[in-house]
Amino acid sequence: MSRTTSQYRNGVKVSENHGAGEWKAERLSALILVPLTLWGLWAAATLSGGGYDGALAWFRSPVNAALLAVTLVATLWHMQMGVKVIVEDYIHKAGTLKLLLGLNTLICLLLALASVFFIARLALGSAPLPAGLGA
Amino acid sequence: MSNAKDSSAVTTGHVMQPNGRPRPMSPHLQVWRWHVTMLASILTRVTGSALYVGAILVVAWIAALASGAEAYATFVGLAGSPLGLLVWFGFTVSLLYHFAAGVRHLIWDAGAALTPKAADGLSWGSIAFGVVASLAFWAYLFAAGRVSL
Repeated sequence: MSRTTSQYRNGVKVSENHGAGEWKAERLSALILVPLTLWGLWAAATLSGGGYDGALAWFRSPVNAALLAVTLVATLWHMQMGVKVIVEDYIHKAGTLKLLLGLNTLICLLLALASVFFIARLALGSAPLPAGLGA
Repeated sequence: MSNAKDSSAVTTGHVMQPNGRPRPMSPHLQVWRWHVTMLASILTRVTGSALYVGAILVVAWIAALASGAEAYATFVGLAGSPLGLLVWFGFTVSLLYHFAAGVRHLIWDAGAALTPKAADGLSWGSIAFGVVASLAFWAYLFAAGRVSL
């Protein structure tokens, strides 16, 4: 894992592990989510009580569908990193750590793929699932 | 690096720094004076974990909508029940608190508001925002007739 010779840049030792990359990604995702979360709450207030037809009409707007997809993907990315840190802090057994980290990434990835898939279908006005899958 | 200082450090439980002074030790959780920044930090993790479940519920809502009127009616029936509304309320509190605490952290990351007084203020502010903004959000939903018990 560690290199035999340390590398230096501008007199500062270059990290032998992940460096500040994860830290920066956490902040970047948080910054992106500040406006998107506020928009999401506003959207939730707009959608509540609107019924099935109201929700379908809302998703037919490309702006709504795109913003929701971006919000969810950014949220799940942020979530994956956040839970990774919690797991790394409290789980010290190598096997369990690896299992939980893998499970976390898998869940977040599946949720992201599922949301984009469902949102795309709703935006395109596809037939309801599961009938829409074959038809 | 093995010298007399190091061997005495082992017996006292202190690790010596290169400058010859003992490395400051972090107080154990049991002797740590309670502080609002500590509570705010713990709450950020707790609400973040709760939002994991919240995210699954949001994806479930989209999945139900994409599965037709019948599936959507089942979902809304559960989500709109008193217990369902309580879960959504908890979701709102978690989201708005985590949001405020996150903005607070971004301010700190920019190098601002790091004095104890300012840090405490931001932490209390985040907790207050999470509660007040959630109550306002749900007061609006009920007042506008968008949800009902």
